[in-house]
Amino acid sequence: MNPFMKRSDIVKATGATMLGLVVVFPIYYAFSASFFTIGEFSTYPPTLFPSTLSLVNYIRALTESMLARFMVNSLVVSLVGSLLRMIVAILAAFAVAFLKFKGKQLLFFLVLGTMMLPGDALIIENYLTISRLGLVDSYLGIMSVYLLAPVQMFMLRQSFKTIPLTYRESAAIDGCSDFKFLTSIVLPMSRPIVLTLSLHSFVTIWNTYLWPLLVTNNPEMRTVQVGITMLGYADSLDYGPIFAAISLLLLPSIIIFLLMRKKIVEGIASGAIVG
Amino acid sequence: MEKRSARMKKTLSPYLYFVPALVLAYLFSYHPFFKTIANSLSLVNFSGKIIEFVGLENFQSLFTDRNFQTSLVNTFRFALFFIPIDLVFCLVCALLVYRKRRFNALNETLFIMPMAVAMSSAALVFKAIFNPTIGVVNHLFGISIQWFNDPAWAMFTIVFLGVWMAMGLDFLLLVGALRSVPKHIVEAAEIEGAGPVAKFFRIQLPLISPTILFIVSTRLRDSMLLSGPVMVMTSGGPYRSTQTLVYQMYIEGFTAGNYSKGSAISVVVFVLTFLLILLAFRFERKGVFYQ
Repeated sequence: MNPFMKRSDIVKATGATMLGLVVVFPIYYAFSASFFTIGEFSTYPPTLFPSTLSLVNYIRALTESMLARFMVNSLVVSLVGSLLRMIVAILAAFAVAFLKFKGKQLLFFLVLGTMMLPGDALIIENYLTISRLGLVDSYLGIMSVYLLAPVQMFMLRQSFKTIPLTYRESAAIDGCSDFKFLTSIVLPMSRPIVLTLSLHSFVTIWNTYLWPLLVTNNPEMRTVQVGITMLGYADSLDYGPIFAAISLLLLPSIIIFLLMRKKIVEGIASGAIVG
Repeated sequence: MEKRSARMKKTLSPYLYFVPALVLAYLFSYHPFFKTIANSLSLVNFSGKIIEFVGLENFQSLFTDRNFQTSLVNTFRFALFFIPIDLVFCLVCALLVYRKRRFNALNETLFIMPMAVAMSSAALVFKAIFNPTIGVVNHLFGISIQWFNDPAWAMFTIVFLGVWMAMGLDFLLLVGALRSVPKHIVEAAEIEGAGPVAKFFRIQLPLISPTILFIVSTRLRDSMLLSGPVMVMTSGGPYRSTQTLVYQMYIEGFTAGNYSKGSAISVVVFVLTFLLILLAFRFERKGVFYQ
């Protein structure tokens, strides 16, 4: 890389930084507004900088609303949901990659075929199924539709395929069962992709909105993405606690995002993470 | 006897690994899919039970329903604004930073930051900054657009939010594509005296066109499914000007309890997305060509 920048490079970099600041402005505004007083929301012209860095809004968001409860709900659903989702995907991917059985291709495509059916267009029937099963307002009901991840199954299969078949043959000679082979050889060897996909699953489930909105009637069972839109402070200008709640959600995800930045960029560059 | 059951176990056990995935695929994809098609061709009661087969009647009434026509038009109107704005904006950003120079890693990070934000949080923030009276957008640009009260403008708040949420991924795809354009071709053009405009339109654009087509087809499909931002920001208003297909489906199905109509809208969405997925697959292979 040339340490001396040409003039056109400086112009481009400056332009890019200015565009970049416009792009991150809503994030800045959320943090900034989380410190606003009620008065600062209604001043004209609108302010961009809080006058104080008081945590009042944060304290109000956590004590006056069910935000903490929403966060716990989201955490449980995302953690358990992504764990189950990975187990389902790993088992299926393992069978496709290592085991021989009749109809394997057909079953594989049957599972992959679900990619063609967008979940958001299936919500009416899925809701009826969940309510027939008595799972409305339950964690299992919220996570149910996310437990199958065909894209992840496919990516795991691709990764498992890179493990040489000789490993399996020698494991079999030593009397190692299929399941043991999966847990003690395949999984440890695939740790990076399993971790990346788990994190991706966690974020996906954490961020969903439509389905959790639908299957939760009881406010106590709402996930944070749904709950946050319904904090509804009586005074319409009392936005402070809402922005504090948004900031509380933003902070961890931005930190994780910055830490994972390289992985995410590489993942997309190699065509790995799509959808 | 024992031997036989052992062999049975051996032939059956591979299927066991597949059972959870298959059960889930049936329960939450295929079953609801076929049920939705059946519902769309029937009269369905309040608890979701089919009463009688009515053929294409639901679709007939659907396509003559003004409300549905509005949703259909709005959905495509969203796509019509969203996709070009998203593409042009991401292309400009990508062209500015694709060469590895100082500060460009930082700028790249700024462009992909929206990826860290969930839809509902982003929608709430956009709702606040586009607020006509106390929002900062009108103030900063010195305009006084009634974003959420004017049917002509409300859709744009959703378009901007859509672009903001999509740009991280699309920008990265375009940067990747621009970086994969062979250097010697670009340099040869520069030696031949091609200016930046000619270089872009004659060389880079044609070479990254598969990526662009991929983005267009996947975003078209996403547009057909638009609902969340509408729910959080506008509830379909004002005067249904932001009401989309999936939003109307949701309202028909859950607020009005009209499962037949809701299912018929679902089927329309299936058909639209299916056609667009086919388009996406068509370009997927060529989507990104890294060397």
